Amino acid sequence: MPDDITISIDGVEIKTQPGKMVLEAAIDAGVYVPYLCYHSGMKPYAACRMCVVVAENERGRVPGFPAACTLAATDGMTVWSETPDVIELRRSVMQMLIAEHPNGCLTCHRVDICGPSDVCLRHVSVNDRCITCPKNERCEFKDTVRYLGMELESPMSYVYRDIPLEVSDPFYDRDYNLCITCGRCVRACEEMRGDNAICFTERSGKALVGTSFGTSLLESGCEFCGACIDVCPVGALTEREGKWEKPARVERTICTHCPVGCQMNLEINEQGRVIRTVPELNSPANRGQACYKGKFGLGHLTSGQRLRRPMIRRNGRLENATWDEALDLVAERLRAHQAGEGFGLITAPDSTNEELYLAQKFARIGMNTNNVDHSGNTQPALTGALEDVLGYPGATNSIWDLEKAGCILVFNTNLTESHNVVGVPVKRAAGNGTPLIVIDTREVELTRYADLWLRPVPGTELLLLGAVLKQVLQEDLIDAEWLAEHADSYDTLVYELERLSDDAVAATGVPLDDIARAARMYGEADTGAIVYGLDNLSASISRECVVALADLALLTRNVDRPAGGIFPMRQGANGQGAIDVGCLPDRLPGGAPTFDDAHRAHVEEAWAARLPASTGMNAASMLEAAGGAITSMLLVGDSPNYSNGLLVSDVAVFERLEFLAVADTFLSPVAQVADVVLPRATFAEKDGTFTNLERRVQRVRPAITVRNNDAMPEGWIFAELASRLDVAGLDYDEPARVMDEIASIAPNYRGISYQRLAQETALIMQTGMESPRPTQLLYTTREERGIQWPCPTPASPSSPVLYANGFPNGRAEPGAPRFRAIPAPTETDLPATLAPGRVLLQSDREITVEPGELNRIVRDERVHINPADAASWGISDDAPVAVVTAGNRTTGIARLDPTVPPGVVSITALFGQLAVELQASEDLNPMARVPGLHLEACRVELAR
Amino acid sequence: MTAPSESPFAAILAAARRRWEGLTAGDRPWIRVGTGLAGEAAGGFEVVAAVKAALEQQQVAANVSEVGTLGLCFAEPLLDVQVPNGPRVFYGQVTPELTERIVRQHVAGGDPLAEHAVGYLGEPGQAPAGISNLQEHPMMALQQRIALRNAGNIDPSDLYQYIANGGYSALNKALTEMSPEDTLGEVRTSGLRGRGGAAFPAGIKWGFLAGNPDPNKYILCNCEEGDPGAFNDRGILESDPATVVEGITIAGYACNANRGYIFIRHGHNQPIDRTRAVIRQAYDLGLLGQNILGTDFSFDVEVALTGDSYVSGEETALMEAIEGKRSMPRYRPPFPAQVGVFGKPSNINNVKTLAYVPEIVARGGQWFAGIGTQPDPDNRINGSSGTAILCLSGDITYTGLIEVPLGMTLRQVLFDMAGGVPNGKSMKLLQTGGPLGGVLSASDANLDLVLDFDVFRAAGAILGSGGIIVADEDTCVVDLTRNLIAFCQYESCGKCFPCRMGMSHLLEVLERISNLEGTGEDLALMRNIGENMQAGSLCGHGQLGFNPVSSALRYFGHEFDAHILEKRHTGDCPDQMFSPRLTRR
Repeated sequence: MPDDITISIDGVEIKTQPGKMVLEAAIDAGVYVPYLCYHSGMKPYAACRMCVVVAENERGRVPGFPAACTLAATDGMTVWSETPDVIELRRSVMQMLIAEHPNGCLTCHRVDICGPSDVCLRHVSVNDRCITCPKNERCEFKDTVRYLGMELESPMSYVYRDIPLEVSDPFYDRDYNLCITCGRCVRACEEMRGDNAICFTERSGKALVGTSFGTSLLESGCEFCGACIDVCPVGALTEREGKWEKPARVERTICTHCPVGCQMNLEINEQGRVIRTVPELNSPANRGQACYKGKFGLGHLTSGQRLRRPMIRRNGRLENATWDEALDLVAERLRAHQAGEGFGLITAPDSTNEELYLAQKFARIGMNTNNVDHSGNTQPALTGALEDVLGYPGATNSIWDLEKAGCILVFNTNLTESHNVVGVPVKRAAGNGTPLIVIDTREVELTRYADLWLRPVPGTELLLLGAVLKQVLQEDLIDAEWLAEHADSYDTLVYELERLSDDAVAATGVPLDDIARAARMYGEADTGAIVYGLDNLSASISRECVVALADLALLTRNVDRPAGGIFPMRQGANGQGAIDVGCLPDRLPGGAPTFDDAHRAHVEEAWAARLPASTGMNAASMLEAAGGAITSMLLVGDSPNYSNGLLVSDVAVFERLEFLAVADTFLSPVAQVADVVLPRATFAEKDGTFTNLERRVQRVRPAITVRNNDAMPEGWIFAELASRLDVAGLDYDEPARVMDEIASIAPNYRGISYQRLAQETALIMQTGMESPRPTQLLYTTREERGIQWPCPTPASPSSPVLYANGFPNGRAEPGAPRFRAIPAPTETDLPATLAPGRVLLQSDREITVEPGELNRIVRDERVHINPADAASWGISDDAPVAVVTAGNRTTGIARLDPTVPPGVVSITALFGQLAVELQASEDLNPMARVPGLHLEACRVELAR
Repeated sequence: MTAPSESPFAAILAAARRRWEGLTAGDRPWIRVGTGLAGEAAGGFEVVAAVKAALEQQQVAANVSEVGTLGLCFAEPLLDVQVPNGPRVFYGQVTPELTERIVRQHVAGGDPLAEHAVGYLGEPGQAPAGISNLQEHPMMALQQRIALRNAGNIDPSDLYQYIANGGYSALNKALTEMSPEDTLGEVRTSGLRGRGGAAFPAGIKWGFLAGNPDPNKYILCNCEEGDPGAFNDRGILESDPATVVEGITIAGYACNANRGYIFIRHGHNQPIDRTRAVIRQAYDLGLLGQNILGTDFSFDVEVALTGDSYVSGEETALMEAIEGKRSMPRYRPPFPAQVGVFGKPSNINNVKTLAYVPEIVARGGQWFAGIGTQPDPDNRINGSSGTAILCLSGDITYTGLIEVPLGMTLRQVLFDMAGGVPNGKSMKLLQTGGPLGGVLSASDANLDLVLDFDVFRAAGAILGSGGIIVADEDTCVVDLTRNLIAFCQYESCGKCFPCRMGMSHLLEVLERISNLEGTGEDLALMRNIGENMQAGSLCGHGQLGFNPVSSALRYFGHEFDAHILEKRHTGDCPDQMFSPRLTRR
């Protein structure tokens, strides 16, 4: 970026860009000006007046003492930040501030050497001591007080506020006695997250932050992302877990709860335990944001219940063994399958690219089979169909491009829960007036933000997309000229759309006007973005739904430009990497199918081995064949898909195997039935790369070491097994060499190497060791941008827009789905479909929160029913009803609601309820198993 | 009589005049009851009910209107009876019992109750026996009513009455005879200065907005009148809201803006209801909305409300409130003329400023410029044209809402018009321009101050909102200061640190001094807090928030010394005058 202007601060010349405020410029340049309410990444707020300065521009002295955070830098501006007047003004404000914040230790010269059990000769009460504050030693406010050199004596009177602590909400503790009302938390919630779950309360000297009407966070619309905690300069907002712990060191890693690829800083204590996580500010994927999973769900990394040693089943019981014993046993059992029969390998979607590569290489050359998959591969159509139309199986644009989109269409994904941080730019865009269309039968968080919420009858989603496409074509909202040059004919699509009658579309239950509006909103916008998932879609139409969405993006030319695009919301942290490196039964590294002779020959040559040509079994097929065609399996990682029905619904399936080896971090239900259990290192202990859902290849380095634990990464396990099986080619000195090999085979990775990734980093200027800093700024020592593929040569730049240089096959190929409805599976006694929803806030409903150790929501659910259904079921408004599914019964109050499609019963829960359950969960890694919102057959009956 | 060339406005005007004649010269008397703030507080609505009950009971036919305030607050509830083609006879401090007699004797019998009448208004030849001309009352005689021209005379909810009395001829003139530039030029010529406190020339300020090419621009009217002792904005909106609606429409035309917000404090029900009523009628008559009076000009006006917060009157906080947010000031720049409400260029005007606009356009800027004080560059006096709309309250004989030409002295207003301090006491001090304006001692020099924005500023006072609270010799200045700071403290929004905490600490110190517990360091401590508040605060509330203390110390430092050093009070310390205080947590 060009440095256009120069300003000087206390004689130090710094370069900055026009439009930047002086404080921002100073922080960027590593010059410290005191501040408390400003926070990097947020708009200035101008409240704390700590950053007041004296300034002079070409018109003379700026009147008064302008705040540097709101003083626009102009070329040649001279700023003095340390004049006696300025210091006096800051101290005066600080004097009042420490008269309202517990301050016994703040101004005491002993504070650095005073321990928690030392007798205080000044009789400072416990409440007023820094040493008893959870933020002690990491308090930005204390640092600032000391930076300003405040005196022990003050003429101001101090009173402890004595506000009761708020400790009953999940994950958070709030102590407003420590609040200095800087407003960072409120602004983070409103400005950064678009949530407005917290606000200012009272006014004047009583002004504080809190929730509207003092409710619990369960009711206030909180998504428990922790953004407010991350920016709090004092001990007012803290994570409950590890609240009093002090970090001994901080390490960067990448969260693997979902494929967003959030860079996170792990705070690690003296004992090597992960005590807290703070999202990285200068991370391209998450920009300082996290979600409930990443913020509060990484404690398992150093849990005491992790598997420490390999185990072997002896006499029906799993007993500790050495690695050699365990690996020897696995090798011995696998040797029988080396001809390619009877063996399957399912690895984990949170493996690194290098490990996924090793996994498929091990299966292919070690076991001579294509029966290799990762357990997140439950929706091949998600990106497969996208690839058919556009050429690559990945998102076209970057996550934060969404914020700039002219219109956003979200299709069948509960985005804010499954890929939370992708939801952040969507919410922010919606808050800034970007039209948002949500297509989902369920009521999800984003439907609250939507300008238009289309609620199709389950099974008619494809019809609905067809109707939107048809409208777009009819109103000529397509870029025909560009299409003529860049895409094959879409005549077949037109033909299919012509066959789609309004009568057929009526089956969606969505008014034609709304469909037309959606088409116009998306089609008329300068750029439109589509974010889609396949939640609850029938497998028989999911592929065609994706084709329809891809067609929509293609026809409106939203695939090769910034601020538009199409984003598949895949499952599994590194599902993108798994496709890229060929950890699939039907694809080789580089993405070509196994039966592609030319490419296979290329890989064979690289590997110096013969490869099976026929497509292998995918995870679901392998599990289906367990005990039959598959008799031995090697499983890496615990997957919720082994119990949630997406692959299998019961781990009993594994008991049908003759031999099962499981590499995992905990003794999961699957591991408990294994013959050999191998302790698996977590992502935070690994060296490698992940590829996130915006195709960004990001380096991850070992962040933690776990004491007294023999866990190893699966890459090592594959190498060890290979050597025991006398298979050459899996022995690498380091992961960098694996990446080099990937690069030599996969064209899109050809220019990627660890060396190149290292070049895509930048040091972040720090404002000096002594200067107070917000936690996030303190931790952001370097920016790691990663590389978005395709990166065909070492000199190629990162590719934020996938098809900016055209389509890989020369032209895009519009698909032509056969637009039709698939009846939702129902049973005679369960004739309707239950659409469970979940939102952060239902402002129109009163709820009761039962206080206690942990707040709990107590309320009657509202069962929304289409009036016609209600009439035929004999249910009136406000009637107490029960919704019965195959495995569950929920009671509530009936609400006749014409917006509910016929045949659908809608119940919307509050996210706060889920947060309570996650907090209370006994699961070792509850965030890995957040229950989804699945449609189910149901019936509604009057409850007595 | 309708000619084909008749303009849309002529038809409206004709209808309005017919209605007005029906009221003043029809077949039945017209009874008007003051139901402005003071009227309401004194029982105006009970009187209205009593009038209606008496008419019903006595089977007398008369028109009854709730009007705003004539400004004679001391006489409220004020009721007047006008028999067809007769003078208006005013009765002061009317009770329901008296109402019954008035209806029987005057309305039904045509015989005024001279012993209860405060005066009449009408042609000299119409003078009823034994009743003096109200125009000769000292509070009325020296007034020059421009913004208040209709106050107390018309039903504020009836747009036709406004039109019949000359209303909307200015807009009609602007739209049909003048370009937006001409209109703006007329306001420039008038020298009209903003009545919100800063006294910035309105024409120049409008020019900023007019010059902005953004297609969406807003004119905002600020009636978040929160100063204790100030009720003139409210008085205008509850007595004649249409002049403000017409004024904002003309401003919209002059600035090429397309939307106006009249921002009224939540709970000010009469101004809100009456403003909404005339806006509705203006839409019905084509005086607002698309293609006003058949021209290309379109303009929408809406009433916006805020919560009960003083700082909402600060222009950027006001914009936050209109956007539905907590009203806390924004930092500047960007200034509202570039980035205002909803991120669009905006222009904020006080109610009084806009209330003058129709008359300025109708009669010409030169006429307005001829009223008031002339520039005197040698003494840094820029000239203040027009009138001052003052609210007199406190220890004064005649309280009320008056409009006098700028250039009069305080002495003329307070003694010649308002009759000075009652009960033979002496005048100790004045509190002008709201709490942030501080206090002004009633010295000869100060009483001889000319009503002029720059003169007042030079004297360290603010003419500002126009509220003047008079305090007599019994007032304890320390206690008054404590009350003023209690108000300022309660009304701090809590955003910027110096004001949020400084006000609380100032109040604590003042309470200490008030309770004779002050120490020698307290004055220095207050100065320290106050000066840093002044230098460090984000908006005017904190920047001016030390004024009550600094001005009190300037004129009455000895009273503080008496409290601190001699431990004695200096007057009868009354109970708190203003809002409850909010302590720190």
